[in-house]
Amino acid sequence: MIGSWELALIVLSAVIVTVYGIVVGLFLLGIDRKLAAHMQARVGPPIRQPFIDLRKLLIKENVVPDNAIAWIFNLAPVVALASSIVILLYLPIGSIYPPLGAYGDLILVMYLLTIPALCMVAGGFASGSPYASIGAQREMVTMIAYEFPLAIVVVAVAWRLAAAGIQDPFTLGSIAAHPIWSVAGPLGIVGGLLLLLVMAAVTPAELSRIPFDTQEAETELAGGLLVEYSGKNLAMFSLSQGVKTLVMAAIVVAIFIPWNISSLVLLPEGVALVADLLFFLGKVILVMFFSVSLVRVAMARFQINQVVSVFWIYLGLIGLVGLLLLMADAALPAAGVII
Amino acid sequence: MSEGEGKKAPYTLPIGPTHPALKEPVMFTFQMEGETIKDVDFAPGQTHRGIEWMGMRRNPVQIVHLTDRICGICGVVHTLSFCLAVEQIAEIEVPERADYIRVIVHELERVQSHLLWAGVAAHELGFDSLLHLTWRVREQAMDVIENITGNRVNYGIVQVGGVRRDITPEQHPLIEECLTTYEGLLSSLLDLFLDDRSIHMRCRDRGILTYDDAVHLCTVGPTSRASGVNMDLRQDYPYAAYGDLDVRAILPDQYAGETRGDVYDRIVVRLLEVGQSCGIIRQCLSEMPAGEITAEPKIAKLLAVCKKAHGEAIGRVEAPRGECLHYVRMDGKESPTSWKVKASSYSNLMSWIPMLRGEQIADIPIIVASIDPCLSCTDRVAVIRGGRRNILTKEELHRLSVEATRRLQA
Amino acid sequence: MTGTILTPEEVVDRFSAKFGTGIQEASIREKREGKKKIPHYTIWIELDRELLRPAIQALIEIRYPHLSVIAGNDLGDSIRLVYIFSIQYGEIRSEYMVTLAVTLPKDDLFVPTISDLIPGAVFGEREKQEFFGVTVTGIPDGRRLFLPRDFPEGVYPWRRDETGIPDSMIRDLWASKRPTDRPAPPVEEKEACEIEGGEEKPAEPRGKGEEEGSQ
Repeated sequence: MIGSWELALIVLSAVIVTVYGIVVGLFLLGIDRKLAAHMQARVGPPIRQPFIDLRKLLIKENVVPDNAIAWIFNLAPVVALASSIVILLYLPIGSIYPPLGAYGDLILVMYLLTIPALCMVAGGFASGSPYASIGAQREMVTMIAYEFPLAIVVVAVAWRLAAAGIQDPFTLGSIAAHPIWSVAGPLGIVGGLLLLLVMAAVTPAELSRIPFDTQEAETELAGGLLVEYSGKNLAMFSLSQGVKTLVMAAIVVAIFIPWNISSLVLLPEGVALVADLLFFLGKVILVMFFSVSLVRVAMARFQINQVVSVFWIYLGLIGLVGLLLLMADAALPAAGVII
Repeated sequence: MSEGEGKKAPYTLPIGPTHPALKEPVMFTFQMEGETIKDVDFAPGQTHRGIEWMGMRRNPVQIVHLTDRICGICGVVHTLSFCLAVEQIAEIEVPERADYIRVIVHELERVQSHLLWAGVAAHELGFDSLLHLTWRVREQAMDVIENITGNRVNYGIVQVGGVRRDITPEQHPLIEECLTTYEGLLSSLLDLFLDDRSIHMRCRDRGILTYDDAVHLCTVGPTSRASGVNMDLRQDYPYAAYGDLDVRAILPDQYAGETRGDVYDRIVVRLLEVGQSCGIIRQCLSEMPAGEITAEPKIAKLLAVCKKAHGEAIGRVEAPRGECLHYVRMDGKESPTSWKVKASSYSNLMSWIPMLRGEQIADIPIIVASIDPCLSCTDRVAVIRGGRRNILTKEELHRLSVEATRRLQA
Repeated sequence: MTGTILTPEEVVDRFSAKFGTGIQEASIREKREGKKKIPHYTIWIELDRELLRPAIQALIEIRYPHLSVIAGNDLGDSIRLVYIFSIQYGEIRSEYMVTLAVTLPKDDLFVPTISDLIPGAVFGEREKQEFFGVTVTGIPDGRRLFLPRDFPEGVYPWRRDETGIPDSMIRDLWASKRPTDRPAPPVEEKEACEIEGGEEKPAEPRGKGEEEGSQ
């Protein structure tokens, strides 16, 4: 049962996490733009550019098209932002235990991850524009495409932890406490690397960035899902984009690189918290750099059918190989085979 | 809207008159089934400025400045082909040196135009890094053009009877340096565009134009050459100094060993032509004869000659996008009786229809861009609201935008 | 494609042999440019309207021609359409331009379509219909091409008679002045605008801005 004191604590931490998620998310977008610009031999906008854009969007007129379904159209951005913030409440931030960590696990996070995407689909269909409708269809197809490899990753990691006899393998807390690399043997580490690769490919798809940005495809659909959005609503979507970037990077960090400074070096408690937080943000930026910025400057946009085949065939196979390796890793020592 | 609900319900997708896929206005109407294009129709003329009408009320020297402004990228080809036509009618003999300078500027323009196109193509594919890269290296060609002509665009270098500026010996090293840079860059450009997996995936076998279609639809330039049509005015019908130079049409099988007529082949042809142009400029620089640069430096005298001229003639040049043709008829008056401008894209637009049919929405931008369409700028805007259509004049547009600003400031 | 390359004279001879008196005039014009003065040729042929299609057929027999464009003149009581082709491209300096010109009296303005012979000609034929008012019989797609949908019927921009663009349709944008019926701007007009006002009233350079400001 939740006591009133605990409830107040959760509400307070929710407020803090919201502010943290929005601020860090927007900075991540700014850092991404700056990194991409430098890789493209440009100067790029200042890192605070997303904040400037946000301010601009908030003072702009909010246009609702005549033939849009107004209530869905207006509701979608709010729900998208809210749901992406909710995910943050389940994810560890550095050494801070997630506020709602005790009430949900990785499976829940996976479900929650679909909500912002579904909101964009709903908003797109409600826009009453052919571009947005096509974008919405593509978003659905993309979601279906990347869910499968994502599920493989989650199940494989949790299964390996369970095989090692760890309690509650699906909770992020225990995944973070027992990094897959320290649990698995050499075969398992190879498998883990394959899963990391799959996860790195799912991240840009989840964030609809190049090469998986078919649903927004500027040159084809003029912004696709978001084509009719403006002003306040668009600001919400860009906020949720920032928060989602943080969420995806934080999930990768939590599953694959959960170490903290404080567990490696002995530090006083207050310093450790700050050091862990900074270290965590560093890891988040690193993950974002490799799976978002680097990929998007080095590739062209895929077609929607190519997106599906990439995820179902190539990444699905890589994921399954990773899963098999992890299983073999757990099963072989048990069967007495020495590698 | 009901699109997307039914799995295979056909629906209409309008793209244009303005859309991020289109760098200039044109109106496409696609009949779609899911993501596949069933049929396509397009309406040009969203940009018709009536330049020919204006020209028929001006004298040839005034028209030269008008032709410079027909296109923002091809600043020299329209002027050159117009001048070739007028020079034939008025029987003006162009000095040899002017022929060479014309070719040098013409080829520099091809270099910058193809690089510009390559960047646009990369952007259409969602590959912005390549866009930034190619546009960055393009600047050097622009700088050299500016050095030679005094302008980045609208060069104003070609005049009836010759050219308006000479290329001095001091400028030679500058041009040479630019050529060396591009020749060095060419192999990495070819690498980046042609060996990249994601570009290959998006361009190979997309937007195919067969040899027969290319010939029957009267396509020109890289668009037809990519379909294997051996056609290049610089080879077939050498004008200016091209008769002295050894120019052969570039066909995709010279690189890939086969011709498929797809978007990929169009990239191949254009990139290889950048290298070819560098070679041509080098040859021109070394073989350029000394002498006058214009047959008649005094504009008044020139106009008097043109005023007496009778007859009709055709001037045509191989623009970066293909054949550019000007038909002029003069009947002893100050302004020409008839003037028909045939820009390269005029011949290429029809090829969109066979290219686009059966392809996917995702291919629309790159296929539309693959012929390097050039549709020029607009002087009118059409507003459709509740079935009524108004044409806004410049004054009204200005008024509306001032009012909108005031509304925001209030 | 045949391998033989005809000389321009042979092309003209073929036409005069085939069509006899239907060819009203045929001439070859030569131009030489550059240092080596290598010639290139344009063949000009004037023929009857009935012979246009057979003539193009004859061109196709030589080699499939490239139709560059259809140009036109308004000669007062007739319209002359000039079909500009090029043939024998693909080899070094082998190409000639061939122009087939037909003269159509203005009281009988029609020309048969050639789009079944050369599909790409539709584009030019549509343009000639709207700009010269020539009826192209049998055209597969008779819609307008470049002109806007609400362009008045019966106005043909390239005509030089009363059906050309009337003066009432010409907007001299360069002559447009600053509008006077505007509300006062919330901020002071910029320097550049004041100079414009000053030109109208040289004695009172700031007059216009203040006048608007007081409204």
